[in-house]
Amino acid sequence: MDLHVIAFWSFSALAVISAFGVVFARNIVYNILSLISVLIAVSGLFFNLGAELIGSLQILIYAVAIVVFYVLVISTVPEYKGQSVDPKYMLISIPVGFGIFMELAYVSIYGAWASATGIFSPEVLKEVGNIKAVSSMLFTKYLFPFEVASLILLVAMIGAILLGRKEQVMEENNEHSV
Amino acid sequence: MSIPYEYYVALSGLLMVLGLVGVTVRKNIIAVLLSTELMLNAVNIAFVAFDMKLHDVAGQVFVFFILTIAAAEAAIGLGLVMAIYRLRKDVDVEKLTELKL
Repeated sequence: MDLHVIAFWSFSALAVISAFGVVFARNIVYNILSLISVLIAVSGLFFNLGAELIGSLQILIYAVAIVVFYVLVISTVPEYKGQSVDPKYMLISIPVGFGIFMELAYVSIYGAWASATGIFSPEVLKEVGNIKAVSSMLFTKYLFPFEVASLILLVAMIGAILLGRKEQVMEENNEHSV
Repeated sequence: MSIPYEYYVALSGLLMVLGLVGVTVRKNIIAVLLSTELMLNAVNIAFVAFDMKLHDVAGQVFVFFILTIAAAEAAIGLGLVMAIYRLRKDVDVEKLTELKL
């Protein structure tokens, strides 16, 4: 049995089981731990496909930076008392979701995949390397979207600072002055 | 011979549907945001699988942009959650109904 096959089945089983944990676990801390597990499994799938740059960025940005945001927020918001899952939506969404998954799986396995192929064949990628190929496209053809993405990050940073600011600081100053 | 790329796309569909069920079912607003992260990851898997099948790298460039957008979305969304919590002392989506007629 090939190592690629073993890696695919183990990582995908881990991802699916942890995704069930993200959706259905009651405690929000278990949800976030399951999300880390999903992210690391998906990163393993990227390495298995041969996309090393994206796999390492997945670990760096998702499994470290974004998860830290969530942990900070659940440590600020106290524990949520109440039922975690709404049963009346559960009755509707499970069959509908199963139907959508069957449709997607049928289309992706039996559908026609005819399309134009690009220039980065496995021989070229073996010669150049995945990271060099991706970054050469990123900094030539997709340079303008790259700059726009940096602008989006700047706007998001300003927005997060404005939204997360405490209003109480000004009120305390007013009280002191009065 | 390794795994066919169709299996990766089917796995992506399964993760996407799980995220969709999570967005529909959960009542805690932070868990809803976590489910959207799951859906973004499903899209990433599909992008990379199509890339490897069609011998191109444009999908991986778009995965890079999705990572950027996900970071921005997490920052803004969690900032909104903090603002809502400070205003209402609650994170239940059933009780945040100011926009309902």
